[in-house]
Amino acid sequence: MESLTDTLWDVVICGTGLQQSLLALALSRSDKKVLHIDPNDFYGDAEAAFSLQEVESWVEKVEAGKEGLFRAASVEKPEGDTGLSFPRAYSLALAPQLIHARSTLLSQLVSSRAYRQVEFLAVGSFSIFKPSPDPSQNPTLVRIPSTREDVFSTTAISAKAKRGLMKFLKFVLDYDSTPQTDTWQPHADAPLAEFLLKEFKMDEELQTYIITLTLSLDGKINTRDGLAVIRRHLSSMGMYGPGFAALYPKWGGLSEIAQVSCRASAVGGAVYMLGTGVKMMNDQEDPIVVELTSGDTIKTRKVVRSNEGATDESSINRLVAVVGSSLKSLFESTVEGAPTPAVAIVAFPAGSLSTTAGEASQSPVYLSVHSGDTGECPANQSILYFTTVSEPTSQDLLQRALYSFLAAVAGETVPQCLYKLQYKQLRSSLQSQPNGLIFDFAPPASSLAFDDSTLQSVHDAWKMVLGDDAVEEEYLTFTDREGAMDDDEIYD
Amino acid sequence: MVLKQGGSQHGIARTSRVRTEAQKQQDLERIQKYRDLESHLRKLVSASDYSCDTFDLTTKLLKLNPEYYTAWNVRRRTLISGLFSRRSDGSSCWRGCSSSSRCDTTTTCSAASLSSSLTRILPSRAYQTTGRSGTTADQDVSDAATPNDTTTPTPEDEESQKKDSEIIKSELFFTIPLLLESPKCYWIWSYRLWILGQSVLLLPVPIAKKIWQEELGLASKMLAKDCRNFHAWGYRRHVVSRLESKELGGESLVESEFAYTDRMIRGDLSNFSAWHSRSKLIPRLLNERVAGEKERKGFLDAELNQIREALNVGPEDQSLWYYHQFLIDNLVSPVGRPTIVPTLTVEERVMYLTNEITEIKDLLEDYKDVKLIYEALLEYTLGLCQLIERKPEEDERQDLISWVKKLKELDPMRMGRWIDLERDSGLTELLPGWSGQPKHY
Repeated sequence: MESLTDTLWDVVICGTGLQQSLLALALSRSDKKVLHIDPNDFYGDAEAAFSLQEVESWVEKVEAGKEGLFRAASVEKPEGDTGLSFPRAYSLALAPQLIHARSTLLSQLVSSRAYRQVEFLAVGSFSIFKPSPDPSQNPTLVRIPSTREDVFSTTAISAKAKRGLMKFLKFVLDYDSTPQTDTWQPHADAPLAEFLLKEFKMDEELQTYIITLTLSLDGKINTRDGLAVIRRHLSSMGMYGPGFAALYPKWGGLSEIAQVSCRASAVGGAVYMLGTGVKMMNDQEDPIVVELTSGDTIKTRKVVRSNEGATDESSINRLVAVVGSSLKSLFESTVEGAPTPAVAIVAFPAGSLSTTAGEASQSPVYLSVHSGDTGECPANQSILYFTTVSEPTSQDLLQRALYSFLAAVAGETVPQCLYKLQYKQLRSSLQSQPNGLIFDFAPPASSLAFDDSTLQSVHDAWKMVLGDDAVEEEYLTFTDREGAMDDDEIYD
Repeated sequence: MVLKQGGSQHGIARTSRVRTEAQKQQDLERIQKYRDLESHLRKLVSASDYSCDTFDLTTKLLKLNPEYYTAWNVRRRTLISGLFSRRSDGSSCWRGCSSSSRCDTTTTCSAASLSSSLTRILPSRAYQTTGRSGTTADQDVSDAATPNDTTTPTPEDEESQKKDSEIIKSELFFTIPLLLESPKCYWIWSYRLWILGQSVLLLPVPIAKKIWQEELGLASKMLAKDCRNFHAWGYRRHVVSRLESKELGGESLVESEFAYTDRMIRGDLSNFSAWHSRSKLIPRLLNERVAGEKERKGFLDAELNQIREALNVGPEDQSLWYYHQFLIDNLVSPVGRPTIVPTLTVEERVMYLTNEITEIKDLLEDYKDVKLIYEALLEYTLGLCQLIERKPEEDERQDLISWVKKLKELDPMRMGRWIDLERDSGLTELLPGWSGQPKHY
């Protein structure tokens, strides 16, 4: 077997984030020589999932300026015996994204057979946080209706408003045909909220329901994008079973997909080196000469990496809290025959929270609640992932969101917070693009739901690496390695 | 939950493939193996050999071809002839025939009738041991002890019950993968029902009841997968009626079945079978609740409110209008059927109907082109007039004319029907100066 330095690699992939890992999966049945490296000593990069110990060493690296997109990370643990379990009982996800049933990612995981290694859980209810008008009363969570049956069952909307909502849901399901296009295209770039008011006479409450379904981070999504996302949600409903529109991979969300992809790639012959990065690269030569931090110098035809250069000024703030309660009431399925959901989404619309100083929130806060079924924490606990667009008051606001949420779900006692992780993640409007013999992946989007446009870059990278050897029909379309079940077994 | 690819076996889509010579050879070998198994079975049957070997042979054959009904029959016979334990009094556990007479339901107990016809045709070893031959089914019933004997079970009995229970469980388990592969194969269902029937005859009531309760769970699972499967609803009703029968304790399940229709409707409003089931359960439900007039009125109000809420979000759905119509009929023409509130006066009925018409008119505000709304309004308004025994008043007449006009527009295929309706309801107008020539709108 050739050594690292003697081999002429077909591609060196830097970073084991989701995009790079999907690329590795796509190349796993080609006979190309793939070297996949990651300067971290863990898989997943910006989409990794951590045990509590790994969180703490990651926080240290972030504070030392060594983790690219991340800033201002800190951990808070109350003193004493809180009921926090041992560190490896937890798997905190940096990218707790839900995947809509209709997403191309799922069909690609199926066609590439990688789906067999992933366990998917159902994402259940979407709710809105309602502050209580009376300070002596607890705030409440109101479920957002997104199907005809939801609208039928809810008691929170008037009969007339229900009819309006039904009209809109029907409109969206067919929004890309005439005459619907005539109605919305003039408003394509205007905020969706405006469109809902003008064309469907929706009051603010209904508008909030719809905007929340889009999971728009700043709440200002435009009509074109908003309608597309809502249609994806509605048409995903019931696709893999009754009562849910989105899935979540067990054991840490996208991190699990990245790991499964790398595993498949390794089985296909790729060489993996964690804790190894690129020290220097001479891309003026062909083949490219790369000096690794391990001291080895290698030659490769192509390089694929992440572009972590310039990023926008905008970022998101995240708060991850471990809570000492299973929060069962959030994970009840109301639909007969539906699987028990493991994830529930709660939105805090702009204005529903106020800072300690009394200012109302300007942007929505989103919360993804994960039960122990996700494998991310013990069964009698839950993980809360809060996200909001960064503003000066964001850290404070996320803390307020945490305590307001716990007040809303409190039963006999208010659930305790056992562990808190906070950080900032920079966002980028950079595009993925080829650059001669190098392909740069754009930094991952920090959206709440997986965005299929990510997959286009993976496909582009695959085409660049394989060049003329690329066979379109074989892109992420494989047969099982083990071979089909032998029918002859039942004859014996 | 694991992602499944639909419609293919082993995750690979079925495509017509060209067989290589090697594959052809493989297929020929498989065919030969099957034929060998089959001829072996025939040999054993003709030698009246219904031993364990025969049983195993049917297992192999049925896995390959669950539609081979003779193999199912042979399997049944091997169980009856030996694998199912005998009672300590030596009589056969062969009560297959009696189960058909105990069936309270009108649904077919096809499995039972199948097995009873078997005894009439074929002599079984069981008969030989009791010294009888060629006895008819009925005689067997009167001669045999009932399965729920009040005599204390002997240790032998308990042993044999345990064995039978295991056999029943494993047989039910055996049918599952076959049903998953061939869910519409009657022979498998027939066998399953027969085994379930055997549980009532051979096992103590609590155990048999549990088995049937699990079967109800299976029916629920099937309906969860396809909530409008007419056969699955029929199967469910059969299972419910067995659970409610005297042999299994005679407990009424009407409340839980009513709650079940509730859940199914919340899952999918368009579930005609669920609404239909609901309507059938109501009379018994109210009787069991010993509902007085007040409770009955409350119940009717709740049902009307609920169906109106459903129509509010789904006015184009026929199954919802059928249920609404069922409730209205119940109100308006109570003669000859069990009604929800039999004590309503005519004034009260008129009030209900008038109210419904007003509520439905509200729907027109936002649903202008849904023909079922206009149809309902027409029918109920004409029905109201009939109830009070008067002709439509002028404003009603104008409404009726405009609704028929709308129906002609929305449903021109049924033009003839709308024209007839107009004429029969006296809605056509005579223009001045055109006597005898009605003008149609």
